[in-house]
Amino acid sequence: MNFSKRIVCSALALLVVFLISCEEEKAAEPKTSSYPRSETLYLSGSQWGDPNTFNLLVETWLVAWPTNDRFNLMYEPLTAYNSLTGATEPILGTLVSYDAEKVVVDIQPEAKWSDGKPVSSADVKFIYELGKRFPQAPTSYVGDFVSEIKVDTVDGKERLSFMVNKKRNNPLVILDQLQAIRIVPAHIFEKYLADNNNDFDAVKKIKCDNNPVVSGPYTLAQYNNERIVLVRRDDYWGNKVLHDGALPVPKYIIHPIYKNNDHFAINLQKGALDASMNYIPRINEKKKDGVNTWYDAPPYFVPGSMHFLYLNNTKAPLNDKNFRRAMAAAIDYAALNRLAVSNYMPEMKPGLIMSEGLEKKYYNAEEVSKHSVPLGDKEYAKKLLEESGYKAVLDDKGNLKHTLGPKGDILPTLLIKSPAGWSDWEAIVNLVVKQLRSVGIDVREGFVDGSQYWPTLPSGEFDIVMRKPPVAVTASLPWNRFNAVLSSRNWRPVGDGNSMNENEGRYNNPAASDYNKRVDELLDIIPLLTDEEEMKAAYTELNNIFLDDQPAIPVCHLPEEFFQFSSKAWTGWPTEKNPFAPPQLPWVGSGINTLWRLAPVK
Amino acid sequence: MLKKYPTVRYVLLRAIWYFLTFLVALSLNFFLPRLGSDPVDIMMAQSSFSSPEIRKQTEENLRKDFGLIILDKEGNILRDEGGNAIKASKFSQLVTYVGQVFKGDLGTSFKNQKPVSEIIMQALPWTIALQFPAILFGWIFGNSLGALAAYKRGVFDKALFPLALLMSSVPFFVFGMVLVYFFGIVWEIFPAVGAYSLELTPGFSLDFLFSVAYHYVLPFLSIFLILAGGQAIGMRSMGIYELGTDYIKYAKWLGLKETRVLAYLFRNAMLPQLTGLALSIGQMVGGALITEMIFSYPGLGMAMLTAIQTNDYPVIQGVTLLITTSVLLANFTVDILIALLDPRVKQSLAMDVK
Repeated sequence: MNFSKRIVCSALALLVVFLISCEEEKAAEPKTSSYPRSETLYLSGSQWGDPNTFNLLVETWLVAWPTNDRFNLMYEPLTAYNSLTGATEPILGTLVSYDAEKVVVDIQPEAKWSDGKPVSSADVKFIYELGKRFPQAPTSYVGDFVSEIKVDTVDGKERLSFMVNKKRNNPLVILDQLQAIRIVPAHIFEKYLADNNNDFDAVKKIKCDNNPVVSGPYTLAQYNNERIVLVRRDDYWGNKVLHDGALPVPKYIIHPIYKNNDHFAINLQKGALDASMNYIPRINEKKKDGVNTWYDAPPYFVPGSMHFLYLNNTKAPLNDKNFRRAMAAAIDYAALNRLAVSNYMPEMKPGLIMSEGLEKKYYNAEEVSKHSVPLGDKEYAKKLLEESGYKAVLDDKGNLKHTLGPKGDILPTLLIKSPAGWSDWEAIVNLVVKQLRSVGIDVREGFVDGSQYWPTLPSGEFDIVMRKPPVAVTASLPWNRFNAVLSSRNWRPVGDGNSMNENEGRYNNPAASDYNKRVDELLDIIPLLTDEEEMKAAYTELNNIFLDDQPAIPVCHLPEEFFQFSSKAWTGWPTEKNPFAPPQLPWVGSGINTLWRLAPVK
Repeated sequence: MLKKYPTVRYVLLRAIWYFLTFLVALSLNFFLPRLGSDPVDIMMAQSSFSSPEIRKQTEENLRKDFGLIILDKEGNILRDEGGNAIKASKFSQLVTYVGQVFKGDLGTSFKNQKPVSEIIMQALPWTIALQFPAILFGWIFGNSLGALAAYKRGVFDKALFPLALLMSSVPFFVFGMVLVYFFGIVWEIFPAVGAYSLELTPGFSLDFLFSVAYHYVLPFLSIFLILAGGQAIGMRSMGIYELGTDYIKYAKWLGLKETRVLAYLFRNAMLPQLTGLALSIGQMVGGALITEMIFSYPGLGMAMLTAIQTNDYPVIQGVTLLITTSVLLANFTVDILIALLDPRVKQSLAMDVK
């Protein structure tokens, strides 16, 4: 037998393979052979596929952590929003004032790029005004909100005035942009553009992964398909100005790239991961392994985002508001909380305004109870359906066969579309289907692949769809949420190729006879209000319209990110008892402050 | 033609058939992903835009980058009367694609703009490193055990057979999860996740190689043991069958040495098993998707899954092309080998010609 030969051959093959694999790593810094656990913070949940580019001029869905989304570890925005206090905290700039005309920000005179050049108004103008030069720039949407940026010098500081563009007339969105838009070094990118004859698409191909010029506390050390490594910049300008001269404690931050949701839980429990932002069921059972959350008891997390059933308001019977209201009443939200989302939800209150936290000041309990259907009241739902002419037809075994409409016609089975494999949503949909069927509404689960789910949203080709409007906890809440659910500004008919990115359920058609123009009026007015009483009145009016018409159904209030952390390697995380930073991973907004407060476990 | 050389004729005919199969598979690989939604639609739906104009502009740019709309010679977008960009027909895309494939260009990923060949080259070594040894050693180990069981019978067989049956009927992802749970989480003997410790920088250092080997154990076992179980059962029944055949009885009557008899037995019992081995090696490049997911192990399976989820046509096409090619090559090789090795097939080839 040539058995031994085979072993030798295979061993050789293996060795070659490893050698090939080893060459993959791209390094910007001189290579370190290892990252000591006591100096390294492991965070995960943002990067899923292979990291591709770190170039901020590329569309955000193509960019790798931490240059995607709103992360401010490498490139920084002007300000950070504190989702706990509602304050706008300074980073590269300080918010001076804002009103219906302009948003004023002073640039930190000490702010510097990693190549020593100061951060200036030219850098801000470069990224904000890029859309004027290149319509395909990812920040081109800014132009609709900011008509121009005026620059003055006040007390030796550069003062920027972001003038509100009357086209959209919305200073609230400009406030959001202060945190969302990361400033890039104009001198570097102008050079890239000049080197490429102003060919924007050519500049987008530059990966910016080799010693990038950044302003933030960390920079890219190395990356491959298994992880991204950041290293601390000890000469970060903000240490002195924003953090009393202290350095962020972890020297390295590693983002492992997992391929399976279970790995977040496994690695948190083993202490191989320090914090993550993914949904992990039954987090309370992991406390014994040192995995903690903001609150020790339910709901464990701070609610920040609403998940909805968006209803197709153009399709019978969903175009009947009584039918929609009956649906909202029939769902047992407490059961959803208990059975589908591991008790992560506070007590469900109807409407688009959260009754706790920063939105509490706009919440009018009395009005809400006047306009809302009673939640989780099946008898009410049955009665409402009956009064509106709907009738449930049962088969011999007493199961729902179909629903008859007011004219005696058999209504089509409504499908609740939801991405397959999103376990929390799947559980919610399964329960909702059961509960709605029990009051005689013919609905079924419609779990589809992501490639089937996403495109049907903007085109409106669905009956009912699970949806989390793309709203992070920012300065513009709850306006942002109302806008996402109710706005008819960009109305397009169902199936139109130019489709809508808000109000995908097509509520309140501007061309219809029953168009309620007050909805869009209020959506336009609220961003311009500064008086708290007026704001509360406007929000209440809008919320009442929502509750009366029930164009969509909020099914649960969940956190913006499921901030869960392990105290096995690092302590000093923010919690309810020690709320020095908001419940976010230390990579976005004011959550980043946590980096200066952590302590390694000895 | 070629009547004097039946084997050559056979090989040529086979080669032509395989080439035709390849062309059909190539077109299927091309059209099947295109039955679903458009990748641009998926990307557009996942991002928000301030106005329909910007949305339309972005969408057109993406379609232009991806070669999904028609351009004139200067690279401008051709439009219909309504001002909408004219979409490229699937057939014209196919022509472009096949042209590129024969030039060795697999295209660029829509999702992350990397050349498809680079994506494959990054993932393939891990896939091969994990699967090739697991398949090869699983096959050798399983067949040896099976043959031994068939020959020895008795207690050895009674213990091995149920065990092998159990191993071959456990779905390998269940077995993988069981391994992770006990060895990775409860007893913490082996790492549960990853291909190497993330504290280390990949490079040619002893620490790194040790870490790779350490992380290799569980994913390897999850494939190796399941495969060995299946092979052992196959080999055992083949062996028992062959032991009862006339030629073995005849060989025994002739009083041949036992080792000689066993050699005859193995040569014949091995043939179907050999086909199985070649096929598994052909299919292996598709990656062990579930194994990769359970262990967060790098490899092609995951690359393909992500591509399918986002309808990243070039990557789907690149990987399926690789799978198609290697499965066809493996099949072809087996066909040829059998024609050369199996006297029965050889005989029938010669008969056909007459």
